[in-house]
Amino acid sequence: MDNNKLGAKDFITIGIFTALLFVVEFACGILGFIHPYIVASYVIMIPIVGSVPMMLFYTKIEKFGMLSIMSVLLAIIMFVTGMGYLGAPLIIAAGVIADLIAKSGGYKSFKKTVLSHGVFCLWICANYFPVIVTADSYRKNLVDGGYSTEYCDNLFRAINSKTIAVLLILCFIFGIIGAFIGKAVVKKHFEKAGIV
Amino acid sequence: MALKLDPRTKLFMIFIVSAVVMMSATTPLLWAVRITMTMIPILLLIAEKHYAAALRFIVLYSAALLISFKFLSENSKGFLSAFLVGYCSIIVQFMPAVITAWYVVRTTKIGEFVSAMQKMHVPDGITISLAVVMRFFPTIKEEYSSIRDAMKMRGIMFGGGNVTDVVEYRMIPLLFSCVNIGDELSAAAVTRGLGGKVKRTSVQELKMGGADYMLILMFTAALVFFVVFKYMK
Amino acid sequence: MTDTIVEIKNVTHKYKGAAGNTLDGVSLSIKRGETLLLCGASGSGKTSVIRLINGLIPHYYQGTMTGEVTVNGLDISKTQLYELAGVVGTVFQNPRSQFFSVDTDGEIVFGPENIGLSPEEIRSRKEEIVGQMNLDKLLDRSLFELSGGEKQRIACASVAALLPEIILLDEPSSNLDMDSMKMLHDIVREWKRQGKTVIVSEHRLWYLKDLADRVICMENGAIVREWTGREFADLSGTETKNFKLRPVNINEHYLALLSEKEKEGSIDQHFSDGIRLKDFYFSYHRKPYILRKREFTAADVDSLSLCIPELDIPKGKVTAVIGSNGTGKSTFLRCLCGLENDCTGVIASDGKEYRKKHRIGFSYMVMQDVNHQLFTDSVEKEVLLSMKDKDVNRCHEILNTLGLLEFKDKHPMALSGGQKQRVAIASAIAAGAELLLFDEPTSGLDYAHMEKVGELLHGLAESGGTVLVSTHDPEFVEECCDCTLRIKNGRVVSFEESR
Repeated sequence: MDNNKLGAKDFITIGIFTALLFVVEFACGILGFIHPYIVASYVIMIPIVGSVPMMLFYTKIEKFGMLSIMSVLLAIIMFVTGMGYLGAPLIIAAGVIADLIAKSGGYKSFKKTVLSHGVFCLWICANYFPVIVTADSYRKNLVDGGYSTEYCDNLFRAINSKTIAVLLILCFIFGIIGAFIGKAVVKKHFEKAGIV
Repeated sequence: MALKLDPRTKLFMIFIVSAVVMMSATTPLLWAVRITMTMIPILLLIAEKHYAAALRFIVLYSAALLISFKFLSENSKGFLSAFLVGYCSIIVQFMPAVITAWYVVRTTKIGEFVSAMQKMHVPDGITISLAVVMRFFPTIKEEYSSIRDAMKMRGIMFGGGNVTDVVEYRMIPLLFSCVNIGDELSAAAVTRGLGGKVKRTSVQELKMGGADYMLILMFTAALVFFVVFKYMK
Repeated sequence: MTDTIVEIKNVTHKYKGAAGNTLDGVSLSIKRGETLLLCGASGSGKTSVIRLINGLIPHYYQGTMTGEVTVNGLDISKTQLYELAGVVGTVFQNPRSQFFSVDTDGEIVFGPENIGLSPEEIRSRKEEIVGQMNLDKLLDRSLFELSGGEKQRIACASVAALLPEIILLDEPSSNLDMDSMKMLHDIVREWKRQGKTVIVSEHRLWYLKDLADRVICMENGAIVREWTGREFADLSGTETKNFKLRPVNINEHYLALLSEKEKEGSIDQHFSDGIRLKDFYFSYHRKPYILRKREFTAADVDSLSLCIPELDIPKGKVTAVIGSNGTGKSTFLRCLCGLENDCTGVIASDGKEYRKKHRIGFSYMVMQDVNHQLFTDSVEKEVLLSMKDKDVNRCHEILNTLGLLEFKDKHPMALSGGQKQRVAIASAIAAGAELLLFDEPTSGLDYAHMEKVGELLHGLAESGGTVLVSTHDPEFVEECCDCTLRIKNGRVVSFEESR
């Protein structure tokens, strides 16, 4: 058998963990309805909560492509659920780069896995793309319509094209932190139970 | 008679609507286009007998429209109104995409969707994984509700006030279940030939009908109209 | 064409990471068209034999293996799994995990699509199978809303759609009620009539006694006994017991009791000391109310999924709750232990009344899938989690009585199914529940484990607990239940004391 090609079992694993990750994203997304600032805190919540399934997923990766496919699936789901496609290039790029990093460590090196997870988490920022794009044009419309700049800034303070860089960096940092947390949980439960 | 659309048409609709929601409407004419585009998926929902959802969307959308127009026209300040206007304008902005997505997700069978992706020459690996994702959402829901029951019985719904416990007690059993189910699912799937070298086929026959072409035309026209009137005028 | 379709030659196999051999020098040849029943305790190697034939060993489960397996002229070790898809089909134990699609139609055609048949061919196969197995009513449904029995029927159809010569069933009846087992029996009979080779691995033996041509009994990875179908059908209870098997011949009374055809019994309750249930009404099909949830009362009688105005449950006894799937057993247990908030029932015991949330403290349900009930990373913590006062000594005491003390630092998920179940029971005892509910605790268990569960339940009852256990196993009811409570359409239709 061709050992470098992904098999049916790998595709099923990818599907399961993508579903789990998306459920985490969705659960955090619901919290975002409470206040827009919570939306900004996705970059902290999703990497940390999502790190548990992700680190479990990393234990099952042996071949190139699993992270890449996962990112493609995330992009497709984001698209189909009406969250736009502007973020797709970012999601897929994050996935492929994360995959390459993990591959360079043979999918076994913990250091590389941590780094890879940090990069992978950048996909979360794709959530903000439609808001940023619309917010900027929306803000312009409001200002043109005679509203004070201050009022508009209040409305879109947390998320705009200036803060996105900060959000990306936060995503990466919490992705790294999350990797350690996730690894600890995997060790506490799944390794102890002999599943991985 | 339900109107059966090709999944590719539905994907195209999402594509257009997602593009349009990125552009804010500035003139009454553009608003009219936008609102018309929102009404189409609502009408389609009604045609597919999802009355409750359609009603909910109409109420929510029109309420949000009303509030954001009303408040925007007066120069109101203050925390509450800023908050309300912020909410409503977000709803008005993105609701069309949400409605369209809801319509597509609710009315497309996974078989159809997978078959559409095959027709669009998406690799088998991606379609298989995606089919698994779709199959797993309801599974996660089922498993999660059992876990919640068990937590209720143990009186640990709030994990003793500890946030990490609240997350851990929900997530760990869920992951164990999902990994188990995944193993059994893979075994069952490979014994039925999944992962072979032959190209998968599909019994779902996809055919673009008159309605499909009409909708594609309408949505393309709307997009063109939007772009022309907003940026080229 | 040769007469032998499956040839297993001196196979020894060990799973990766396992302590001992799962199969130890197994040789077996199976004739074309034969119906073979594999029996034996859990871990005896039945499932591994099934996996040898469908190729999951060595292609899916890793391990070391010696010996040869030939199926329909193909050397398994050199044949890819997908090449076997049209030759061997397998129906697995768990109806929840083996389907790939979300809807029934998609599931039936899943296999043929995988092997790349033309859409016309697939459609005609599907029609044929649907006609043969009477699946019209199940078409175009979501698999998630089907009962276990219905899911298993779809699984059989999905396997049959590949037209395999050999069909394997790996403990297919574990989660099924009597009616579904009858259906499964008929499916196997149909396959037998079509001349297919059918190999069933099972713990529940009675329903196959008229179909098996040959029965193989396994123990510790080896074949220890072989019977012809006729010899097997006449085995007495003591003989099966010696081989640690569940009975082949079950007291007719219990078979009739558990199958739906039973005429309506009566409710005779001749005990004085009981737990009284009052006003248990519940419906899943509740009309939405705008402001306030309306409480269910006896007046809603037509729309109720559960309607028990008054019932006594004997204290210190094991009472079996029987009835077919979907008839309200689970609803009854869920309402009883307070999981359904909208059910207003009151539990009265020793002059005290428990309502709403207080029912949860008084009663405790051990779920069918205990995996959902285990939260922590050690058995000890798991039990302590249920205790308000976190008394470690009492925790150890409980673990000791259940024979779990040696595992106290292990992860609950690392234990075997039976042990996990005992951890869940330990948590129930630790929570101080007086009314213990068990949702089908013996599904999928072999004879020894079933007996052990029975002993345990008796032990709980003797030490003052009251045990209610929903079950589909006539052999279990015969072995260890004091009373039977029969539920039909959410109503108690009979109550009798068995001994």
